[in-house]
Amino acid sequence: MSDAPVLVVGAGPAGLGAALALAQAGVPVVLTEQRDAIGGAIHRQPASPQVPKVLRPARHARSFAMLAAGLAAAGGRIDLRTSTVFLGLDGADNALIDDRRRQRVEALSPAGIILATGAVEKVHPFPGWELPGVMTAGGAQVLLKETGRAPDGPVLVAGSGPLLLAVAAQLAAAGNPPVAVLERGRPWRRPTALAAMLASPANVAEGVGYAARLLRHGVPYVTGAAVTAVRTQGDDLDVMVRHGAAERTYRVRHLLVHDGLRAGASTGITETRDGPVPVLLAGDGREILGADAAVADGRRAAAEMLALLGRGAASAGDEQTLGAARRFQAALARLCEAPPPSPPPETLVCRCEGLRVADLDHLRPDASMRELRLVGRFGMGPCQGRFCGASVAALRPDADPSLKASAVPRWPVRPVSLASLAGFGDPAARTNPRIHQDTEDR
Amino acid sequence: MTGTFFWQGRRVPFGEGQTLAAALLAAGLRDLGGPDGRPARIFCGIGACQACAVTVEGLGVVEACLTPAVDGMRLGPAMTGDDHV
Ligand SMILES: Cc1cc2nc3c(=O)[nH]c(=O)nc-3n(C[C@H](O)[C@H](O)[C@H](O)COP(=O)(O)OP(=O)(O)OC[C@H]3O[C@@H](n4cnc5c(N)ncnc54)[C@H](O)[C@@H]3O)c2cc1C
Ligand code: FES
Repeated sequence: MSDAPVLVVGAGPAGLGAALALAQAGVPVVLTEQRDAIGGAIHRQPASPQVPKVLRPARHARSFAMLAAGLAAAGGRIDLRTSTVFLGLDGADNALIDDRRRQRVEALSPAGIILATGAVEKVHPFPGWELPGVMTAGGAQVLLKETGRAPDGPVLVAGSGPLLLAVAAQLAAAGNPPVAVLERGRPWRRPTALAAMLASPANVAEGVGYAARLLRHGVPYVTGAAVTAVRTQGDDLDVMVRHGAAERTYRVRHLLVHDGLRAGASTGITETRDGPVPVLLAGDGREILGADAAVADGRRAAAEMLALLGRGAASAGDEQTLGAARRFQAALARLCEAPPPSPPPETLVCRCEGLRVADLDHLRPDASMRELRLVGRFGMGPCQGRFCGASVAALRPDADPSLKASAVPRWPVRPVSLASLAGFGDPAARTNPRIHQDTEDR
Repeated sequence: MTGTFFWQGRRVPFGEGQTLAAALLAAGLRDLGGPDGRPARIFCGIGACQACAVTVEGLGVVEACLTPAVDGMRLGPAMTGDDHV
């Protein structure tokens, strides 16, 4: 076995957990992170020391401090490259990475790859979701963590899931309590799911803390309410909401939407164990298990990678943590389960390509997912279906699942400037058929 | 670094360590002018949706939510196709 490093992509809790475990086993690691700092979605760091800290449980701060200390202690064994975007794999299993600071694309030949690129938020489309002023709740949250500043003006938080509660409480603590939190589900009507969650007291305590904060600021938490449409009104937004049989309109500056988290969408690359370069997924990008379990899942993936490379035995030490997280997430999903209102024909589905529900309705009812992409062009824009992919799948539940979005490989997974590519030396990679396919498609 | 960059010629101040996205939003610039007149805007905050793509002079098309602001940077709406793979 050579001394080739293992490439870990993403320096969130999962990527850090994996990188530390590999380094501890004596394996060199290249850790690439697209941002200019480590932390991932949950530990997004303030832009400067002057930025006020966002409301969060102490255990998250402790967990991050431990990971950061581990990274410092690993020294040269972990080659951390920030502002470096993983672009995908070329035909020869080279990993292509784009160093945005030096504007240079580089091909690495790692011994193995662990993708810890995190989850993507689900957003069910409704007319107007594409308007400026509409953001994901998690996106607003990471910006709040970065700047310490809540957005100006009235904010409405809507969709489904516990992140709504967290973001609303954090906005309130930062000085701008939202006008309301609209949860589509009806958690109070799911007592067995509520009871199942008590097995994870730290998470429950976190949720209770957020709820208490909202109560103190008089923020209503409305259940069974869903956004049906949004329109711009000058600088503001008119948000139409259905609550049971009643309709009402909120006039706000910002609408923050979130319908849960989705794994596997961030790169579209799947695991391979038997190729020359094994590829494993870790953290929320593999399975939504939450921040605490992401570190454990990173370690699990590292142990499996060591076993695949013949450098150690897979340990089962983290299985218990992962099992508990899995049960908690399953209970959460049952708690807030509620179908979104079906979007009318004018609803934009694929923002990149400007495609609407009506365009989807024009395609053959028995079209496969591959046809929806190649003929209908759904999911073929720059976001590569990271957002619209789930919407298309929900609107066409019967589309042949064996030909899901990932059956159409695309490279690169992110935009890359021609200037960066010009400096890229490997001619073999440039004649990669996947690159050709990509350019012909446009 | 604290400083100023230019969005379509308009001065946008930014604080130490801020991304283009944070500074644009703080300046009230929410519509980043997407292709074919469709609005583009900061949406996911984590580099996934590509709805915050902007063209930065000398850098090409980048995600505003991932790119640290630099003093004197010049940027505008992203154009699809041209300098972009
Ligand atoms: C926007 C958002 C907000 C969230 N907020 C919370 C919260 O408040 N509380 C909570 O419990 N959970 C939250 N979650 C869930 C959270 O994702 C997980 O619990 C936890 O952060 C998962 O860790 P991870 O390491 O798997 O992924 P992440 O923490 O998402 O880390 C993935 C890392 O990979 C990097 N990356 C992605 N693609 C590339 C690429 N192509 N090249 C290079 N680097 C790349 C990202 O920049 C990121 O740093 C949030 C999720 C999202 C998406
Ligand atoms: S806001 Fe989605 S990629 Fe920047």
